[in-house]
Amino acid sequence: MASVTMTKTASPKVKRQSEFARVMKQLSKNKIAMAGLVILIIECLLAALAPLIMPYGYAEMDLTQTFATPSLTHLFGCDDMGRDIFSRVLYGGRFSISIGILAVLISVVIGMIIGALAGYFGGMTDNILMRFLDIVQAIPGMLLMIVISAVLGPGFVNTIIALSVSNIPGMARMLRAQMMKERDNEYIEAAQSINCSKMRIIVSHLLPNCLSPIIVQATMGVAQTITMAASLSFIGLGVQPPAPEWGAMLSAARSFIRQAPHLVIFPGLAIAITVLALNLLGDGLRDALDPKLKN
Amino acid sequence: MIRYIIKRLLWMIPIILGVTVIVFLLMTFCPGDPAQIILGSTATQADLEAMRVELGLNQSRLVRLATYMNDVFLHFDLGSSWITKVDIASTIADRMPRTLILAVVTLLIAYGLGIPLGIVAATHQNKWQDHISMILALIGVAIPNFWLALLLIIVFSVNLGWLPAMGVGTGIAGLKYYILPGLSNCAGALANCARQTRSSMLDVIRADYITTARSKGVPERSVIYKHGLKNALIPIITQMGTTFGRLLGGAMIIETIFSLPGMGEFIIDAVNNRDYPVVQGGTIVLAIAFSIAMLIIDLLYAAVDPRIKAQYSAAGKKRKKVKANG
Repeated sequence: MASVTMTKTASPKVKRQSEFARVMKQLSKNKIAMAGLVILIIECLLAALAPLIMPYGYAEMDLTQTFATPSLTHLFGCDDMGRDIFSRVLYGGRFSISIGILAVLISVVIGMIIGALAGYFGGMTDNILMRFLDIVQAIPGMLLMIVISAVLGPGFVNTIIALSVSNIPGMARMLRAQMMKERDNEYIEAAQSINCSKMRIIVSHLLPNCLSPIIVQATMGVAQTITMAASLSFIGLGVQPPAPEWGAMLSAARSFIRQAPHLVIFPGLAIAITVLALNLLGDGLRDALDPKLKN
Repeated sequence: MIRYIIKRLLWMIPIILGVTVIVFLLMTFCPGDPAQIILGSTATQADLEAMRVELGLNQSRLVRLATYMNDVFLHFDLGSSWITKVDIASTIADRMPRTLILAVVTLLIAYGLGIPLGIVAATHQNKWQDHISMILALIGVAIPNFWLALLLIIVFSVNLGWLPAMGVGTGIAGLKYYILPGLSNCAGALANCARQTRSSMLDVIRADYITTARSKGVPERSVIYKHGLKNALIPIITQMGTTFGRLLGGAMIIETIFSLPGMGEFIIDAVNNRDYPVVQGGTIVLAIAFSIAMLIIDLLYAAVDPRIKAQYSAAGKKRKKVKANG
């Protein structure tokens, strides 16, 4: 099911190339959003090329350098085991960014399926799906995430699953609302009258028209998910040490808050900058995708 | 209106039952043997077996679920903790107020600062005041609350020594224990509030009745606060409700950092100790609190806007009509 949705939505995208170009043009006028995009690209490059750039290995210990303050040899200083924080923050970007993107992708795909079914068919299907989401959403999101990751156990993949499950209800609800708005349009009636299959109507007529709010929500969602992932590793449930995930680094730094406050600063700054950049880009995308602002 | 409230309260019953089933089943799939965790690694096989029987772990999941539902919903007994043996309901009664106080303190800081910030931004649209407020808001959304908590501890507890970094106190003096947790938890809410206030003030300021008020010579102050803010408040209040709901469950990490014995700390400890009854009980109570908070907000929403009140009262009739047509 998931793969069908993915491949079919991809095909109209090719035809919509001009639409993509229009959005990019609109976006490039927005300097703040472009700043966000540039920061993100740089961060992704740094994380991807981390092994080449890092001055030290992320797990490389130098016990003569424990708690070294920031200097030219160790830009961000060293932690309690003499590991270079600059290298660790660089490498940690790999975990945080990929967890954020993958978790949101999964929740978008599953949320799309649920939302599309509920929004298009309405009635009984809608009622059952939405009541189920009501129940899931009555559990505070953070708590749901903690319980799921406790059930699955810590680790990279399990963290992604826990995060995407707690993101699904929001995504599904948004797509449902969007579908309900779109399905009464005349072009859908036209498609129905020429005997288009339901699957085809949903996938190739409705979904492309519901994409804009999803793209915006997904961009913002990645930001939120990165913070959530860091929170999970902060309480010891997410990615496990010695992997230099930013939240896990903060969690370790917490014990040395009196001797070495500089340990706390850089991983948190990395999270904040990433989240800020994603939000800037999301805001810009919202404006660029808004049909009211066309031309 | 009363019918609406009753309907919403009744609707809470299946939701809470559903939450109970989901959390119960989820917890039973947790890896690790609770008996082993309670007794430690030195326990003999016979002891472990006895403990499993005592906890009811030898029965099937469905039987355990039925027993639990029976205890909770027919006898209002949340059971007792496997690890500390304390009664869960009374522990929650002790801890819940702290979580509520923290949520209220956070909301007060966030909305006390966020609304003025939003108003300043809206009344000085596209001037430096606007830009600075919105930059502050962007930063506020981006900062993870647990990081802010650590930074605040470094500045105000470790370096300046003004405020305590952990624990709770009693009476009015005890409020100082909530300041740092409240501050670190409020950044996101403050930022959202400022943005929301700005955009809804901007919508309202362009309305005709504002022009009318100005043209008949109402002082600008009163135009902004009496005519403008009052009408701009509706979306702000809705957002406040959602924020409050999120704070009830979202303060968990902040509570852990500041060792504030509230619900969040209780549940996180229980998750780490595989203390199933505590996790289940805590989640049920939080879900009930969350649902009630949402209901109160909807009612508040109706109280502020007569149009919405009319909608609620008409909702029952409308639904019947839809059914008849469909």
